[in-house]
Amino acid sequence: MALTRRGFVQTVGTGAAGALTSSWIGARGRENALWAAVEPTLVAVESGAIVLASNENPIGPGARVLEAVKAAFGEGGRAPGRYSNKVRDLIDAIAKKQGVKPENIVLGCGSTQILRSATHLFTATDKPLVGTIPTYEECAGYAEMMGHPVRPVALGADFKIDLDKLAEASKGAGLVFFCNPNNPTATYVGARAARDYFARVTRESPDTTILVDEAYFDYVTDPDHETHIPVAVDNPRVIIARTFSKAYGMAGLRMGYAIGHKDTIKKMADWDGGSGTGSLNVLAMHAGTTAIQQDPSFTANERARNQAVRDFTMKWFADRGMKPTESQANFMFVNIGRPAKEFRDACRKKGILVARDFPPFEKTHCRLSFGTMEEMKKAVAVFGEVLAKKASAA
Amino acid sequence: MTLSRRRFLQGRVLPFSSAFIAARGMEAYQGDQAQERAGARSLVPPGVNEIRISSNENPLGPGKTVLDAMLGKFPEANRYPFNSTPSESALASAIAAKFKVKPENIVLGGGSQELLKNAVRAFTSPTRGLVTGSPSFENCPGVAKKLGHPIAEIKVDSAFRLDLERMIAASKGAGLVFFNNPNNPTATVHGSKSVADFVKRIRQASPDTVVLIDEAYHDYVTDPSYQSAVPLALETPNVFVTRTFSKAYGMAGMRVGYAIGRAETMKPLEKLKMPYNISVFGVAAAIVALGDQKHIDAERERNTRVRAFTLNALVEAGCKSADSQGNFLFVDVGRPAKDFRDACAKQGVVIGRDFPPFEKTHVRISVGTMEEMEKATAVFRSVLRPVSTSTGARIEEASWR
Repeated sequence: MALTRRGFVQTVGTGAAGALTSSWIGARGRENALWAAVEPTLVAVESGAIVLASNENPIGPGARVLEAVKAAFGEGGRAPGRYSNKVRDLIDAIAKKQGVKPENIVLGCGSTQILRSATHLFTATDKPLVGTIPTYEECAGYAEMMGHPVRPVALGADFKIDLDKLAEASKGAGLVFFCNPNNPTATYVGARAARDYFARVTRESPDTTILVDEAYFDYVTDPDHETHIPVAVDNPRVIIARTFSKAYGMAGLRMGYAIGHKDTIKKMADWDGGSGTGSLNVLAMHAGTTAIQQDPSFTANERARNQAVRDFTMKWFADRGMKPTESQANFMFVNIGRPAKEFRDACRKKGILVARDFPPFEKTHCRLSFGTMEEMKKAVAVFGEVLAKKASAA
Repeated sequence: MTLSRRRFLQGRVLPFSSAFIAARGMEAYQGDQAQERAGARSLVPPGVNEIRISSNENPLGPGKTVLDAMLGKFPEANRYPFNSTPSESALASAIAAKFKVKPENIVLGGGSQELLKNAVRAFTSPTRGLVTGSPSFENCPGVAKKLGHPIAEIKVDSAFRLDLERMIAASKGAGLVFFNNPNNPTATVHGSKSVADFVKRIRQASPDTVVLIDEAYHDYVTDPSYQSAVPLALETPNVFVTRTFSKAYGMAGMRVGYAIGRAETMKPLEKLKMPYNISVFGVAAAIVALGDQKHIDAERERNTRVRAFTLNALVEAGCKSADSQGNFLFVDVGRPAKDFRDACAKQGVVIGRDFPPFEKTHVRISVGTMEEMEKATAVFRSVLRPVSTSTGARIEEASWR
């Protein structure tokens, strides 16, 4: 029952969902950590490498937030020695920013804790998790660990979520993981269509909860874009997950949150809410409080910066006959006509780190996160060299 | 506007911001809610610089080398802990190297609390309950209560030590035994021979029962009969030890802890581990802290001195206390803890919460700095002094500010 990558893959996928499920989970449940012991090459990042592997903001949180972190050291640098009581300040700041009440918010150690709590609470042996293939694997990985069934739904044309198909699959589900924009495909479902989908599920399957992961919310440029927080606050069956790890540039600090109906939030907090004596570190609380109170120009600037890099990188691939999916995020999913591993290993040798496999597309597609423009100019030069070589027979 | 490491570090000045971070008890776990908000803390008069000796923290924080390590991570605040240098796996490796074991023997936690919580989730069930001391650290029974799993709380013995015999008896068929050594809040410790015998006898009668030995206060122990149970855990199935950076290492706010044991014992905890549960700052800080044993030895000596001073002052004031092996004292003040706590808070000294079943007689006082404890013991004396109408006014005057 070793949880090695191989062992884990072997333990799943024998149910109704079959091979799809196993390969999906087998891609590795998380961005990385669990497999560190068995795959050391995936961890240590060489200094000087350009990291395009984890959908991080390459710029970081900005001087204002880092000053807040420094201030959080307190008099004589003693504050890190103390349990923190700043949870409420952060919740209040988020409530103000998002126009909700503190009772609508629960904090998490990244949105990871939120995803796990929701999966724990809303799936069961007879209440499956529903998610697209591929999508971010945290919920599916957790459900599999608990022995709860996972019902995978293939993406539609252009790698977009097929809402009709998803609605059908949602019937009788415990939890639907709705990642929008979707990781790793970067595709996006417009606000109106998403709202219709939520209403339909609530109507057709009233006991099904939908977890809407808005991790990449700030990177969307599609005009049909708005948060579903107002829906969640009213509907106990809709939960929004947010993170400071993406546009806010704080992946290293570990802070995320959920917004929802107060009853749903209470359930989540009672099960595993983040607190200053539990999973949340004091620096992250100060950083988060400062970050979310920044002028909206912070995220607007980051969105514009990302968009320019995104346009540049996507055009580079399109010009060479490799059409990426329509990205609304800080990463793209592109058919490179060869196994991702082959591309990844070749890039790594030249100092560029790109993402892991995303089955069932690991033989053809690669996910690339957007670095800075400078980094991407260097990266495409490497991609050009690597892709100029003929792919090995797949 | 890239914040290069060099530029940032050039601009840094280590005199820290004057904004003192009012810290708070763990133990205020129940949140930001109830206890502390409505409790002693709110009694501290405005403008009074409180002495916070309520949560068994290291009052000095983590030390300069560790703070420098954290500052050094500013350029990597945007990176997930597996992409930072060093990465979180480097922390597991550093801990493994310290104990001369493999990384598979280590599970990292967001503080040791995550590991305690997950141990209850992994090892107890509706039919296999939790055995714990009373009073002892309440995290495990708190989680078991939420899950509706049975709990056997075994009252400490007359010397305020965990009652080994009665805990052994209760362990038969249990899922998990929580053994806090030294025990919070009573500050007592069991020697290594007693612990080995305790584990052996539990395993004889109940081999599937998991024993969690929480050594959060390990670095503060001065009793020569004590030794860490880590070697015992490494050679015994179903036994593991938890440690934390929250106490002697002075990093309670950073949330870093770990469990150590045989690989097969660790597996259920590894499964439940929150992915990337430690920040890049916590990872870097903990690695540097692990390499500075001198700092920990100095902290133990400092604590031992201040602990003896505090104990002596309380005994002179007519109190009784068990021999403390932690950075806190469990003291019989001969009156309800709440009365004592509230009276101290009004004079700026915030001490620990109630610890049933001793809340009518005992308080837990954490050991602050010598300067803090000199002031705090003066407050204790004034509060402990029998109050008559004529001395009341003098007490007010003597209030420390």
